[in-house]
Amino acid sequence: MKKILQVTLGIVTSVGGFLEIGSVTTAAQAGAAFGYELLWAILLGTLCLIFLVEMSGRLSAVSKHTIVAAMRERFGFPFFFIVLVGMTLVAFLVLIAELGGIGFSLQLLTGIGFPWWAIPVSLLVWLLMWKGTFGLIENGASLLGLVTISFVVAAIKLHPDWSGVAAGLAPTMPQSDKAHYGFIAVSILGASISPYLMYFYSSGAIEDKWDESYVGVNRFIAGFGMTFGGFLSMAVLIVAALALQPRGIQVDTFDQSALSMTTALPRWGFYLFAISMLFACFGAALEISLAIAYFFAQGFGWNWSEDLEPSKDARFAFVYTIIILIAAVPLVFGIDPLKVTIMSMALTAATLPLAIIPFLFLMNDPVYMGKHRNGWIGNSVVAIIIVISFVLAVISIPLQIIGG
Amino acid sequence: MDLVRDVMDKKLVDRKECEMGRVDGLVMHVGPSSQPRVTHIVVGGTTPWMRLGAPFSRISARLARLWGPKRTEPVRIPWSRVKTVGKDIKLDVLARDTGAIDWEIWIAHHIIERIPGSGTEEEE
Amino acid sequence: MRLERLFVFPILFCLGCKPPTPAEQMDSMLSWLATARMTGDGWLRHTTPDTYSRQTLELSSERIGQIASDLLKSPPSEVDTATLDTLFTRSRIRVKAMARLIAAKNAPDFGRQLDSLDADEKLVKQLADSIEHRQ
Repeated sequence: MKKILQVTLGIVTSVGGFLEIGSVTTAAQAGAAFGYELLWAILLGTLCLIFLVEMSGRLSAVSKHTIVAAMRERFGFPFFFIVLVGMTLVAFLVLIAELGGIGFSLQLLTGIGFPWWAIPVSLLVWLLMWKGTFGLIENGASLLGLVTISFVVAAIKLHPDWSGVAAGLAPTMPQSDKAHYGFIAVSILGASISPYLMYFYSSGAIEDKWDESYVGVNRFIAGFGMTFGGFLSMAVLIVAALALQPRGIQVDTFDQSALSMTTALPRWGFYLFAISMLFACFGAALEISLAIAYFFAQGFGWNWSEDLEPSKDARFAFVYTIIILIAAVPLVFGIDPLKVTIMSMALTAATLPLAIIPFLFLMNDPVYMGKHRNGWIGNSVVAIIIVISFVLAVISIPLQIIGG
Repeated sequence: MDLVRDVMDKKLVDRKECEMGRVDGLVMHVGPSSQPRVTHIVVGGTTPWMRLGAPFSRISARLARLWGPKRTEPVRIPWSRVKTVGKDIKLDVLARDTGAIDWEIWIAHHIIERIPGSGTEEEE
Repeated sequence: MRLERLFVFPILFCLGCKPPTPAEQMDSMLSWLATARMTGDGWLRHTTPDTYSRQTLELSSERIGQIASDLLKSPPSEVDTATLDTLFTRSRIRVKAMARLIAAKNAPDFGRQLDSLDADEKLVKQLADSIEHRQ
């Protein structure tokens, strides 16, 4: 029973993955531009993530190694280093966007421009990592992230045409603006299937001291967690489809997406949007900073744990300190977090194969997985995800140029 | 034992379960009439960067001379100190004595411990 | 290969950005007019706070001005340029005035400006439809 409470790891992973500024922006853009037609992209992203996250957890629980550690050991230092560079660059961009998202949310609530929030927000994120434990971050971020359920409430209150919603779950070709449609679809997938989620979840399983007995409950945690996030993301799309699309409002700025909740929830909608984004981006910023620091520490073999005092895992603490510090700089100079978000989504899609391909080998390696190796279903799904990731990798950048 | 599969890139832990890096290289003795045998595990320095190519190795050597514990030579641990080879490689040494965590100690003393709230590094 | 793409991307992005068509620019214009109207509506009904409403109206006015200036550099042949210019300028000034009325907390005048903005938006919509229709 106590193991079920570990569902907070699933929730925090998915809130940080599905409800951060990139996912909310792309879901809102999708709803405002194409109504329900892009729900299938969120569904596809959710399904892929359920499998990938479940495998990440299973690998850690059974082998007591994180994905990164297993990747270094199995594929060697050169391969690890290439993935490190690619993953760090992309995750760093997403971190800038998330810190900007926190700043944007505070701008909505206070009117004070987001560049002014860059330093206090970064300091707060850093302080939580410096003094907090993994349990505090995991449970705190997922509890606070529950306020995002307001998106589901808003969606239901707007009385969507449920048959239209169901139709949107199947892929269709749009009548017009195909490049823009394709670009948003790729961005949604790039926003949801973020490799840093897998690295974070796998490390979290080790931080929470999972063992083989967690294999069963891991399926529930990954399934429930990612479904939760996926539903919330769909709710954001539906709200935008009903509140913004009829008015012809495109989502070019964060300010515009804030309007979406005011139709369904006149009194509190605006504030719920701002607070939801605040907590979701906060959780995401913590998750990404940790994921990058975990990547370095696990790959190079340093001491690491959020539960250790910084002096006991000095290099690990040094990495997250430096990246948070550097990430704040562009924001202070007023770089638009939304533009950074859009670029990072396309780049995530472009670098996905690097993260997913090692998985196919690791999940079938008897040294790491023992009797818990992937079955034919798991391997088929990973193979399909690899094909999807190659397609995304090839088309994401041209689509960004043509349809972005 | 398959050296590449079972030893290379594996995590090293010392007598006190302290993580001290990964196996970045191996030193082997090849005698005229004997089987080649591993004599040392190599950790850090320019060794992992050499696996990427000479330019990386040169850059890492240059950076190591400018900053940090100013250690340019990798750490060599005698193979005789290996206790077990499993998921990790357990060594019969203390990490501090080998030099494998010099960077960890340097960053802890010069950067991390200067920031309030870092805790103090316990003497091992 | 992947790393090269990361570096090539910013260059390609700068070189390859496709400029928007007049129809797309009109859609953008309508989007910002609608944003101003929804924000204004929200302020009157107290669903959006003062500072956010004022800042969003100021942003909308700015964007309306930017889109108008881009559109008028190469205006669509289907519509009279002078008409477009007058309409866009009027909308931009009106939205800016609405932002000032929020600062002055003048709801009655704000309501009148909002109604006029509604009329402006309908006119722009008619012009946008004629451009789309003839393309």
